[in-house]
Amino acid sequence: MTESWPELDPVIHAQARLRVMVALSTLAPGDRLTFPRLQQLLDMTAGNLSTHLRKLEDAGYVEISKTHERRTPVTYVALTPSGRRAFEAYTESLRSLLGPPKGEP
Amino acid sequence: MEDELSPAESLALIEGQRAELRRRRGVRPELISFAWGLAYLLGFGGWYLALQGVVPAALAGVVLGLLGAIALVLPIVLGVRASRGMRGPSRTVGAMYGSAWGLAFAANSVVQSALQQQLMPSWEVSSLMWASSSLMLTGLMYLAGAMLWRDMSQYLLGAWMLASAAGSVLVGVPGNFLVLAFAGGGGMLVLAAYYVIRR
Repeated sequence: MTESWPELDPVIHAQARLRVMVALSTLAPGDRLTFPRLQQLLDMTAGNLSTHLRKLEDAGYVEISKTHERRTPVTYVALTPSGRRAFEAYTESLRSLLGPPKGEP
Repeated sequence: MEDELSPAESLALIEGQRAELRRRRGVRPELISFAWGLAYLLGFGGWYLALQGVVPAALAGVVLGLLGAIALVLPIVLGVRASRGMRGPSRTVGAMYGSAWGLAFAANSVVQSALQQQLMPSWEVSSLMWASSSLMLTGLMYLAGAMLWRDMSQYLLGAWMLASAAGSVLVGVPGNFLVLAFAGGGGMLVLAAYYVIRR
């Protein structure tokens, strides 16, 4: 893959992972979504979502926790603080690529 | 390998996804405000018209009860939908806020019923007591919502509701029903419109 936009975080700058990041960034800090609910909201297959989540987890952007509720295993997904910062930095760099910074004519 | 997004496409995708997710999760505050606004406007407006002999009282009662029931059930359904598959502080706050409405109105109905049994007021005073106390609680709950979600528009509506509650008692029967319909219901419809525009 050619890197046409070296300013942009390559972990986030891919359609599927960007969609995952947007979905998780709409949650308030501390909130988590179950894997099936995230999958349903994004309309992605389980395999596809797992693959992208693993890349985001490796980058430290996403936290995946597995617990049991009434003996059923449940997987929760949430942004880490550094994931939230990385997403903010990513949208910032998009804006600065697209337009002149504020305060300039 | 996916095609690479341009920055413009990427930004458009972010904005589009945000709106799409809010819709899919069922976060629709404008629907709740609209349902309540309509219930107040047509419900209490209809009651005023019934007192003037324009429409049958039974019809006004049915309209008020039906629209009120819809407005009551809608936020519960939407709240449950939005919190599905979610854990964390927002869910707890949402459950506390939702149950606070129920608690406040349950306590108020006990207080009002007991006071009326002891005071035996005329039906005019009785309707003033019920309607103004309900509107006052609604105003307070909007103020609480404003603080929880840092939403200035909810704060303004809450303050407006408190003023309307006081105003409705000062105006007296039957004008109080017009205050409820237009100031109360109108205020909520304005908030619904604002949520749609802001989206």
